[in-house]
Amino acid sequence: MTPTPQGFQTQNLTHRVPGRNLLEDLSVQIQPGVVTALIGRNGSGKSTLLKHLSGQLRPSNGTVHFQDRAIHDWPPRALARTLAYLPQTPPPAEGMQLTELVALGRYPWRGTLGRLGTADHAVIDDALRQCGIDHLRDRLVETLSGGERQRGWIAMMLAQQAQWLLLDEPISALDVAHQVEVLALVQRMCRDKGLSAVVVLHDVNMAARYCDQVIALGQGKLVLQGPISTLMTAEALARVYGLPMHVSHDGPQAFALPR
Amino acid sequence: MTRFLLPGAVLLSAALWLYATTTALPLAQWPFLRPVPLWHSETMDSAQILFAYGTLPRAVVAILAGAVLGLAGALMQAVLRNPLADPTTLGTAAGAQLALVAATIFAPGLLANGNAVVALSGAGLATGLVLALGAQRGFAPVTVTIAGMLIGLLASAIATAITLSQGHYLLSLVIWNGGALTQQDWVGVRHLAMVLIVALILAGLLARPLMVLSLGQAGARGLGLRTAPLRLATLTLAVLLSATVSAEVGLVGFVGLAAPAIVRRLGARSLLQRLLGAPVAGAVILSLCDNSLQAIAAAGGPDWPTGALTGLIGGPLLIWLLPGMRAQVPPGTEESDTSIRRTLTPARSLGLLTLALCAVFIAALFLGRGPTGWGVLAPELRETFLGLRATVLVAAVAAGALLATSGAVLQRLTANPMAAPEVLGVTGGAALGYAATVFALATPNALALAIGTSVGGALALAGLSAYALRTDMSPARILLAGLAIGALASAMLAAIMTADDPRAWLVLGWLAGSAAQVTPVGAAALAALAVAALIATVLMAGWLEILPLGQAVAAALGLPVGRVRLALIALAGLATGAATLLIGPVSFVGLMAPHIARSLGLVRPIPFVIGSWLLGAILMAIAAFGARSAAYPYDLPLGLFATLIGAPWLFVTLLRRRSA
Repeated sequence: MTPTPQGFQTQNLTHRVPGRNLLEDLSVQIQPGVVTALIGRNGSGKSTLLKHLSGQLRPSNGTVHFQDRAIHDWPPRALARTLAYLPQTPPPAEGMQLTELVALGRYPWRGTLGRLGTADHAVIDDALRQCGIDHLRDRLVETLSGGERQRGWIAMMLAQQAQWLLLDEPISALDVAHQVEVLALVQRMCRDKGLSAVVVLHDVNMAARYCDQVIALGQGKLVLQGPISTLMTAEALARVYGLPMHVSHDGPQAFALPR
Repeated sequence: MTRFLLPGAVLLSAALWLYATTTALPLAQWPFLRPVPLWHSETMDSAQILFAYGTLPRAVVAILAGAVLGLAGALMQAVLRNPLADPTTLGTAAGAQLALVAATIFAPGLLANGNAVVALSGAGLATGLVLALGAQRGFAPVTVTIAGMLIGLLASAIATAITLSQGHYLLSLVIWNGGALTQQDWVGVRHLAMVLIVALILAGLLARPLMVLSLGQAGARGLGLRTAPLRLATLTLAVLLSATVSAEVGLVGFVGLAAPAIVRRLGARSLLQRLLGAPVAGAVILSLCDNSLQAIAAAGGPDWPTGALTGLIGGPLLIWLLPGMRAQVPPGTEESDTSIRRTLTPARSLGLLTLALCAVFIAALFLGRGPTGWGVLAPELRETFLGLRATVLVAAVAAGALLATSGAVLQRLTANPMAAPEVLGVTGGAALGYAATVFALATPNALALAIGTSVGGALALAGLSAYALRTDMSPARILLAGLAIGALASAMLAAIMTADDPRAWLVLGWLAGSAAQVTPVGAAALAALAVAALIATVLMAGWLEILPLGQAVAAALGLPVGRVRLALIALAGLATGAATLLIGPVSFVGLMAPHIARSLGLVRPIPFVIGSWLLGAILMAIAAFGARSAAYPYDLPLGLFATLIGAPWLFVTLLRRRSA
């Protein structure tokens, strides 16, 4: 694979905690313009890798480069204008209306003292519409359902106008209909607006349906990387999950079930 | 290395004890090393009597009290699944102390049959209160500990107030606050030994069900365990143990925290090992502390009470234990409540609050109690009194606003409604600075005191920031570190107080908070500071909006989280330090005002900050008025009055917010 100056590149990335390595000698590239799935078993280092990509952690060893620049050399606000990150469990946004939550996405652009102008409000409105939560704008965030709240947080990321979205298990607490809604939204943003996304997922079938590329981890090491189709074989899935899986095809769409 | 820790400590302790004792009484004269008759006081000289009925029982009491405290701590930690629980951090010991102080003053008859019952009821009440607060947060360790230390602070504040109002004859109680192990006979030994033996048997019986409880409430129920009676029985036993020690030797802090921690560190995995190991470790710790102090005294050093030393160890210990706590917190239990009302018209609420502040201020200025009873200040007296009253009022209002601002900032910063400057440790540090100035200078003037207090507050803040920078600074843990600093400060204060020096009363008076010495210049400066703090906070409102969402989100939005948090902590610390100088270290205005602002529906950062500021000012104006009028013609200490208003309110609100 050729190096990707517009995307991420990790070189021998290692994250040590007492007793073991959460990530070990990991060298991967992530391309722009597509949805990349991060998969692996529990404790395989998916979330840790995502936190390194968003610059929240310091590597014990190795480097993380984003757009040809070490991630920690980015000034915080410039990084936030380029890269949006959603944690696994978004915090309760106490006493905040949905619009106000989404408006926080303008912080990297306006700072502490700047006021929001018409352009900002247009961006916020657009983000709310994109996520289909325009009608909820005046509701308090804590009164929203899980799916609505999750889309609210994604709207905040869109209002950030970042080219890259990093999402840590964005669908794990949602029912199937909301899972589809959230992932379809991410896929649409990448297809139509040229955004790039890295999504930690547990469900291989959802990954196969909505993602273009895949990085699979096992015990902090790279198991496989490539187009999502390389994952959807019985042999590859067995390597990732250590479980015999049966893969069938419905047209172009592959799906897997434990055997 | 760890294998030799305990035996080494035992040897060291024994050596120190031998040194201290033989200095007082050479080995050759020890009563039981001579032929018969052994224990007849007629045949002993005074040094030997002192040895047989003072030194010897003291050594045994140190061992027994340490063991009892270690067991109490281990039981509390097991039943609450909280490695920070101990009679000190749950407010148990402070409750016992307050009950004893109150009984000594108001109902000495209650103490006729020994003080165990009184100590026990105080201890039980305080612990029950803390647990009632903790129950609403699923007994989340850090939250329970914060509630416990808050209630401990409050109990000590009230005890201080009572001490202060009664003058010198309570000095022995002040010493008792510091936990002196001095003995006159073997009665204390007998009590403690009896309690320890019974408690060890009971603890052995409780070990198995407690192990099942360690699976958590739901898991334990699934295995058919009735959790409520087990919890109640275990806690009752632990409180009983703690109260016994309080009654016998006084406030000896943090042994119950240290002992199980050390036993865990030495590799005690099972609960039974910990329950049996903790008393051993506790005995070693306390007797090592006591023997070190005796050795220091024997070598000609000052004679400090043992409790002061364990308090000194306790603060750092708490900070050391904190980082390892990460994995043990039940998820979701340390989040703040989400069920709050939000007003649609914050501007109107703020307008009404401003009007209320003006009304209270004017009323407090002109109304009051005079020689002729209640009424408006007579015109001919205005020239004399208005200036004085205005000075005190302005200073009080400014101090209240500063504390409230600090509290509002801290509550947003930590996303924890329990946060307050009283909890941050700044007030404790400031108190130490004040005390140090009083003792260091022959005639300290106002400026020297101001500088000393600020330096003390700043040092406490610096210590907190150093800790905060080193770890990744989880909000609730910062609070707990602040509390630890506060505990350290109060332990040192207790040591200073026992020096039996008239200057100690100066410090004690200030601890209760007095506005009597405020100058017009000082009041104006404080007011200017309050306005500046308000402006600064409003400018930082953007940060205050994002920070409660947590480190990950704040960082992802491009906030330089570390620097922002430091800036806000510095602001809160400065505001607290300035206000503390006037009203003393405990007031709870910084906790109350933001709480009331929230309950009025002022949730968004800017209305919240302004509302808290106004409410803090109103509360202190009322406190100033009350302190002046309640006991006319005497001025009561301002901070004390604010505490007495604040505390009941605090408990009512905290207890009411019961969530399912």
